[in-house]
Amino acid sequence: MLEGVRSPAVHMPRTLNDLYYASNRFPQALFWAGGTYIMRHRNNYPQKEFPDVISLGSIPELKRISRTEKFLEIGSMVSFAMLLRVGKQVLPPLLLKTLENTATMLIRNQITFGGALATPDVRYALAGTLAALQGEVELKTNLGPRTETQWMGVERLYDKQGALLIKNNDLITRIRVAFERRTFSTFRSVGNVMAKPNECVMLSIGCSYSQSVINHFKMCITFPTSLFLIPHEIEMMMNGTLLPMTTQHIQRILKGVNDEIASSAGDSAHAIQFERASRFVEASLHELNAQSLSSR
Amino acid sequence: MKIKCVIDNKNILLDVNSNKPLNLILKDGGQNIPNCDQKSCGNCVVLLNDEAILACLIPAFRLKGAKILTFEGYQKSRFWHDLERAYADTGSQPCPHCFASKTLIFESLLQLITRATKEEEVDEQTIVKEISLNACPCLDAQEVIAIYNAAAVYRRRRRVRRS
Repeated sequence: MLEGVRSPAVHMPRTLNDLYYASNRFPQALFWAGGTYIMRHRNNYPQKEFPDVISLGSIPELKRISRTEKFLEIGSMVSFAMLLRVGKQVLPPLLLKTLENTATMLIRNQITFGGALATPDVRYALAGTLAALQGEVELKTNLGPRTETQWMGVERLYDKQGALLIKNNDLITRIRVAFERRTFSTFRSVGNVMAKPNECVMLSIGCSYSQSVINHFKMCITFPTSLFLIPHEIEMMMNGTLLPMTTQHIQRILKGVNDEIASSAGDSAHAIQFERASRFVEASLHELNAQSLSSR
Repeated sequence: MKIKCVIDNKNILLDVNSNKPLNLILKDGGQNIPNCDQKSCGNCVVLLNDEAILACLIPAFRLKGAKILTFEGYQKSRFWHDLERAYADTGSQPCPHCFASKTLIFESLLQLITRATKEEEVDEQTIVKEISLNACPCLDAQEVIAIYNAAAVYRRRRRVRRS
């Protein structure tokens, strides 16, 4: 059975310059971060046409976690477990909850930030949460003899169905999250992203309110294979709303969310996902109401 | 690809395909590890550099210089006795099918005791969630928590004696 199976060449660059050199020389090579996504594919081994691999695990620059006055900067090869170990006290509560709810400890030891954001056909909870926190990624584009660097909002990495918009020669090197604390944040998820992606729904919401008026409302609804929705119209409707919201206002918001989901979700979205997303939003708005009332 | 690593405290030189999963490497080496066909059933847990991982998710090239401890190797370590006594004390233990992997997941949770501060202690929900990585339903949540708590008592005593 294993006759003719080629052992792919593995390149392990130690600096970013070595990495660009390797990716120029082997443009078809596969970038390997944590490997949880690639290794889960059942036909991964043995496979006759498995491409060469550029492993990103030996580049110290990609494993760095640093903080400035305003931002937390996370290298793209930092694993979820590593960040939970060193940064529990400084992480925004929404990000902390998302990381703790993603898979189990054994898997979190392996999942990296860059890998979780750049998987081609599955969107994890991290992407939605970073979008709700208005996180940014540093994108380095390899243009042969030179490289271009730009910071880009996480929400611009994907289209409404969650398809990855970055090109093959783009590499996520750092993720930046602001320390700005939101008065209210919630993360809800249901289902197993890997086993049953068509039943899974994730919702991240962050907002602030002062004197009972909502501002900076950000929401992201994710279906792993068919939706990555940041409903800007709903966000505008929510900003400036007086707390506690009336039942009529919540129903109006829900109707708007349902319409946006229906118009944006891909064909593979399941009816149960629509129902779950709607219930999640409703429960979160009631939670926001409850919190605002109890903090008076 | 030639890879030097340590498996169960033995220095080994592997000559394998660079993307071959660790569970298949161990299986070919005579270890009793199932091939789950990358379904992540949770039955192939091993300790890689003292961290519990699923062997089916680790390709060969990541093993360069690594220290791998399978359940057979773990049984020779002193830490195994904490869990062995916990199983005896509580009167419940995993079924033979998932015994090795659940034991190593328990061990990965017990390792947190050595580095956890008071406010970071492992809560019951986390214990049950971690064990549920292995889908075998042979232990219920009460039993899982009882085993962990019993083993944690022995592990804390060991920690106190050492300090």
